[in-house]
Amino acid sequence: MSQNRQNPVGTRAQRGPWLEFLRPISTRESALLGLVIWVLFFVGWEVAAWRELVNPLLLPPPEQVLVSLYDLLVNRGFGVDIGVSILRILASFVAACIIAIPLGVLMGSFARIEGLFNPFVSAWRYLPAPAFIPILLAWFGTGEEPKLALLFLGVIWFLITLVMDHTRNVRDELIETAMTLGARRWQVLWTVIVPAVLPNILIAMRQMLAIAWTYLVIAEIIAATNGIGAVMWRARRFLDTDEILAGILVIGVLGLAFDLLFRWLYRILFPYLDRNGR
Amino acid sequence: MTLQAPTTAAAPSGQPHLALEGVGKVFELRRNEHIEAIKDVSFTMQENEVCVILGPSGCGKSTVLRMVAGLESPSAGQLLLDGNPIHGPGRERGMVFQSYTSFDWLTVQDNVEYGMRLNGAGARERRERAAEFIELVGLTKFANAYPRQLSGGMKQRVAIARTLANDPALLLMDEPFGALDAQTRWHMQELMMSVVESTRTSVLMVTHDIEEAIFLADRIEFMSRHPGSVLEEIKPTFKQGQRFTRKEQLLDFPEYGDLERHVMKLMRQQGGDDATPAEQGA
Repeated sequence: MSQNRQNPVGTRAQRGPWLEFLRPISTRESALLGLVIWVLFFVGWEVAAWRELVNPLLLPPPEQVLVSLYDLLVNRGFGVDIGVSILRILASFVAACIIAIPLGVLMGSFARIEGLFNPFVSAWRYLPAPAFIPILLAWFGTGEEPKLALLFLGVIWFLITLVMDHTRNVRDELIETAMTLGARRWQVLWTVIVPAVLPNILIAMRQMLAIAWTYLVIAEIIAATNGIGAVMWRARRFLDTDEILAGILVIGVLGLAFDLLFRWLYRILFPYLDRNGR
Repeated sequence: MTLQAPTTAAAPSGQPHLALEGVGKVFELRRNEHIEAIKDVSFTMQENEVCVILGPSGCGKSTVLRMVAGLESPSAGQLLLDGNPIHGPGRERGMVFQSYTSFDWLTVQDNVEYGMRLNGAGARERRERAAEFIELVGLTKFANAYPRQLSGGMKQRVAIARTLANDPALLLMDEPFGALDAQTRWHMQELMMSVVESTRTSVLMVTHDIEEAIFLADRIEFMSRHPGSVLEEIKPTFKQGQRFTRKEQLLDFPEYGDLERHVMKLMRQQGGDDATPAEQGA
């Protein structure tokens, strides 16, 4: 099945149309195409700034953004802010995972546990996490707690639901096979359900980490004196658009780096899956 | 060897290996709406016998097998293995499914060791016994491969080796070759025959493939539909107790054709023209 999805060797002469159904492209071409869109983006930005199509105060050229990023990092301790933001993400995300993953797996495995928790989890999922900011501030003041709590609340309900759904999709026959081989309940859970669902859990984590960044910026804009979001919000007051854009750039780069980290982990942890798994 | 299925211990002679006594199964579709899938199924199986449950789609043959496996409980009657009532699944009744059940995250070797590991066999015994069964199904070269790298037929061989290495008292197979292409299928049937011969395993298998049933079975329980029940017990007597490992050997017997014709007729009567949309309990 996977064979005809691979690139046939030596079929260069036989060229199809540029856009073709069911035709994969090489890793190199994929990287190249990915680069093209970015080059176009920056050229467009550069041109827009250069020709002053927009007010330069609102949209500085890309190189000026880089210069202010350098200045922020070297002279104004922006590195510490970045570190603080990453720590906030990691602390709250790890806490959410520690609860969401076991709970999601149990809910996906046992109908009774799902019956107990799912109505609760579903309700919370529909509540937008930022709606809790006022009450979190009232409860926790302006320390680290409300920020961590917001990130936690923004991630956990969706993560539980994703993990539960993936667990529920573990094929019945795998569980039944283990049972007819003599597996007891906890053995089925540990030796079949968990390893079967683990790759999908990692994918769910990757997706939810991206969401965590969203809430991080919200939390830092509203109530923080440090962190990437706080720096950007302060820059807004002086209309330092180059610094705001530098912050956005850093968040983008960090998001990409975490994404790549997860892809790498996926390949390392699950070598038995297709290389182009998902 | 430490791997001894607990229930094979003391079967008094004459007692059947497996006995189904008036087994019935009622499924609840909706509230107050029930369907009787299985009614009064009774048959027995002797040790070392290969027994095939054959029947049209929707006759509930898979449900019968699942009840023997302990994956479903009967609504009526009882099932006995060596005189002991069956409650829930257990390692003495290992099951091979139609869909592939290799554990993707384990190599072939570890897949075959899996059952023994659950049941606390030592590392050395596990390794040796797994290697033995992997060889028996002809996968020695692939012992360290992951299931993704294997064809469908090879995955089924892993499943068979994994179940047999766990030393079940009874091997259950639910249309194990149903998902395979025709050529692989008869290869697997022949392979299974030789494996069963060399391990002296008792097998209870479900199929709707008439040829497969006649080739493999010492005895066929033919089931009717609505509700599923044993219509006829068929013994391919022409085989005279022999087991064959090549399908063409069957063709030497003129009685083979007669039997196939007879079963075909039953199948047509039962399954035939009022074709139901879905196989029930499959």
